[in-house]
Amino acid sequence: MAQVLKINKSVDQGLTAFLEFLLKEKKVSGVVTLKKNRGGPGISYALITRPEELDGARPLFPLMPANSGKILSRLTLRGPLKDPIAVVLKPCELRALIELVKRQQGSLENMIFISQTCPGVYPLEMSVDGDLDALASRYQDQVQSGQHIPEIRPACRSCVHFTPQNADIIVSLIAEAGLDRSCSLVLNSKKGEALADGMAGEKREQDLNSQELAHFSDHRKTARLKLFDEMGEKTKGIKGLIGLFGKCIGCHACGNACPICYCNLCFFESQPNESRPNSFRADLEKKGAARIPAGTLFYHVGRLAHMSVSCVGCGMCMDVCPVDIPVGTLFSRVGESVQKTFEYIPGSKIDEPLPVAVFKEEEFAQLGEG
Amino acid sequence: MSGAFTPKIIYFMCGWCGSGGSETAAAYHLRYPENVLPFRVNCTGSLSSVHILRALIEGADGVIISGCHPGDCHYEDGNFRARRRVATVKSILNTLGLGEERIWFRYVAHGEGKRFVDTAEEFNDLIAELGPNPLKERNDT
Amino acid sequence: MNGSKLPGAQDAEKSVLAFLKTGLEKRCFEAVMMSHRVPAGDGYAYVLIKDPALLEGASPLPPVIPVQGAKALSALTRWGPPKETILAVMHPCEIRAAVELFKLKQASLDHIVFLSFDCPGVMPLSDYVKNPGEADRTYAAARRKWESAKMRPLCRICNEFVPAASDLHIGLLGAEEGSAWLFPVSPEGRRIMDSVGLETAVSSDAWEREAAERKTVREKERQEAHQVSRDRVSGPDGLLAAFSSCINCHNCMRVCPVCYCRQCYFDSEAFKLPPENYVERARKKGSLRLPADTLLFHLGRMSHMALSCVSCGTCEDACPMDIKVGQIFSLVADNAQKQLNYLPGRSREDPLPASVYQEEELEGVEKPYVETYSRTGDRDGAGSENQ
Repeated sequence: MAQVLKINKSVDQGLTAFLEFLLKEKKVSGVVTLKKNRGGPGISYALITRPEELDGARPLFPLMPANSGKILSRLTLRGPLKDPIAVVLKPCELRALIELVKRQQGSLENMIFISQTCPGVYPLEMSVDGDLDALASRYQDQVQSGQHIPEIRPACRSCVHFTPQNADIIVSLIAEAGLDRSCSLVLNSKKGEALADGMAGEKREQDLNSQELAHFSDHRKTARLKLFDEMGEKTKGIKGLIGLFGKCIGCHACGNACPICYCNLCFFESQPNESRPNSFRADLEKKGAARIPAGTLFYHVGRLAHMSVSCVGCGMCMDVCPVDIPVGTLFSRVGESVQKTFEYIPGSKIDEPLPVAVFKEEEFAQLGEG
Repeated sequence: MSGAFTPKIIYFMCGWCGSGGSETAAAYHLRYPENVLPFRVNCTGSLSSVHILRALIEGADGVIISGCHPGDCHYEDGNFRARRRVATVKSILNTLGLGEERIWFRYVAHGEGKRFVDTAEEFNDLIAELGPNPLKERNDT
Repeated sequence: MNGSKLPGAQDAEKSVLAFLKTGLEKRCFEAVMMSHRVPAGDGYAYVLIKDPALLEGASPLPPVIPVQGAKALSALTRWGPPKETILAVMHPCEIRAAVELFKLKQASLDHIVFLSFDCPGVMPLSDYVKNPGEADRTYAAARRKWESAKMRPLCRICNEFVPAASDLHIGLLGAEEGSAWLFPVSPEGRRIMDSVGLETAVSSDAWEREAAERKTVREKERQEAHQVSRDRVSGPDGLLAAFSSCINCHNCMRVCPVCYCRQCYFDSEAFKLPPENYVERARKKGSLRLPADTLLFHLGRMSHMALSCVSCGTCEDACPMDIKVGQIFSLVADNAQKQLNYLPGRSREDPLPASVYQEEELEGVEKPYVETYSRTGDRDGAGSENQ
């Protein structure tokens, strides 16, 4: 049984009040959360140190302008935080950060994670033409009754890892009745409990609403299967892949938005990967034509080979693709099958080593050695 | 002084004439305001535009760049290139209304101590009048 | 100059394809680099075509620019020129960018022959992606009439739709609907026309008149549009509002033909700062937007590439947040280029403005020194004046 702190405010206001409490009581030196952009449209992450700046904070806003795992990795790339900072982030962002830390691309030290049972987020393009506030209130109504929101991204619609086991505090959102009146913070760790100590609200022993969450999960599992099967059919064989990626413009937005792709200079953007004149000449002789630049498919299949073992299915790749290729669905599907091979769930256990970094002397006998 | 606000000014100076000018000023016991912060670069030609822009975005109210006079550059043409580079940065800021007047480019020779401190004083007064750089108030840059 | 009226009057595209087919068959050039519809029919890509049979599905006048042609040409020639002639069919802005990349040593123009055309513009990539079939139809109709209403905002104010650095040019302006002229702009272009067997007897006067008229109108429209842009993004408030929804994905930089650095400065170690830097900035200002340094990225990118920006608008097509980044960069670039009297892509012989200088120039940039301004004598405890 976990401890739950119930704050008598709406879920948004309650969480914001909690963040304010943390800053005012100097329990943390800063909070990272989503905040409405001051000068114009849109929403973005901010590291807030002054309580007044929480005005405009929207910690639970259903949008992901970037995978904050990538942002937190950048923040702690050169060294760990010296003072505690509370971070409000979605489950897939936390999992991505854990995968990055396993790759020495950041540190979890002095970070306290406040996450949520995540109903999903809207595609980025909806924030471009849509009214953000109307979106958010419609979202909350649907979430508290356990509804599945149709307009959320495909990556979210098929996500089954919406409960962040590694967070210190979990905001109960999915199927949590009365979100307009109360904010329930599940204190999932000692750190979480210490943080909540002194905050006004009711404390009780309670677990997350496991029945509703299981029901929610079943629906998601079905949707995931369907989406992945459709993608499988569509991309069968080389013809299928060319059909999917034909219109790819090679901008690498997907790789650059991906939290797992951290390389300073991606192999596929480096010198060794550039085509030499001879290769074009050879293609012209053999096939009569050559696509320029070369290696459109190679980039995607190569990127899969590099990162699929850690793909957390966050779907940023799809949000940034200028030609609307469903990259994320393909990558999640392949990622899942690679991860099953290693019995690995990315981001679930910080101590679990990356499958590609360890080995057993006897394994994968079916690969046919000897 | 009216005590309105004390500008934060970054003075980029080349390692040859620019800081030479400041040393000559020191030799004559000339002073310039404490809020003008010297920043030596090897040659104004080696000063990246991004450093000028970063200074203005991250809290400087004004930026001065001083190097050798045309023909005196230790690296032959660094100061000519700097002039073009600063011209481009000023053009960008001018087009976008971001205060190109907060960047001064002035040649200062090794022996021109007075010219050096006069530049710092004059610019400091100008910026004090212009007021704080509106960009530095923003936390959403 | 005298050129030829391309045979076949139903559709300019078909006439051009016929010319290219003949050229390949007669080995006047070894291969053609041009846009080709992708197998699924939902996009276009640059393809190097040697087999004339594969020209079917190729489009000399495609409705979109998914990959900036200069970038494609750089991928082809960065490591060395082709051994035999390649005819590159590209939009004017792509040719201009290719010339800039050549000056930046990122592309070779040896054995490359440019085939250009009067470009009415291309459609926004996102419009095309939403409904490719309909976009193809809309574009074909607009192209026949040389109408730019449905084209990208930067295309609509483009005044360089006839490229100077071309070798062969397809004239559409002033021609009857559906037909096209072919003019040899350079000796190399003339050689190809001769070897294909096209006479150069038709005068270019009608085309030149029409093109000049359109250019005058466009120049005025460009100035007006730039002024509107300028008013909108002026000052920190205006500019930060324009870039407010920027997620710092750097797409604009990656698709830009002029941004050729394998590792962009703004993705490098220089921008990977210790946590104390970010925390301290957050402390000073009370809040720090993350990812940090977004405005510095845009202004810094301008300072790096504005002098070679050809206003092609590929950046705006690639932005996932629909920011008018192309229009803003185009405005800034035009002014920066004017200051140094430079027009990117006009000629291979114009040196890059950042690589040359004159001993006396840009008088307005250096702050004149008025010796009488001297407060050193007034200050308390100040030392002596210069002796």
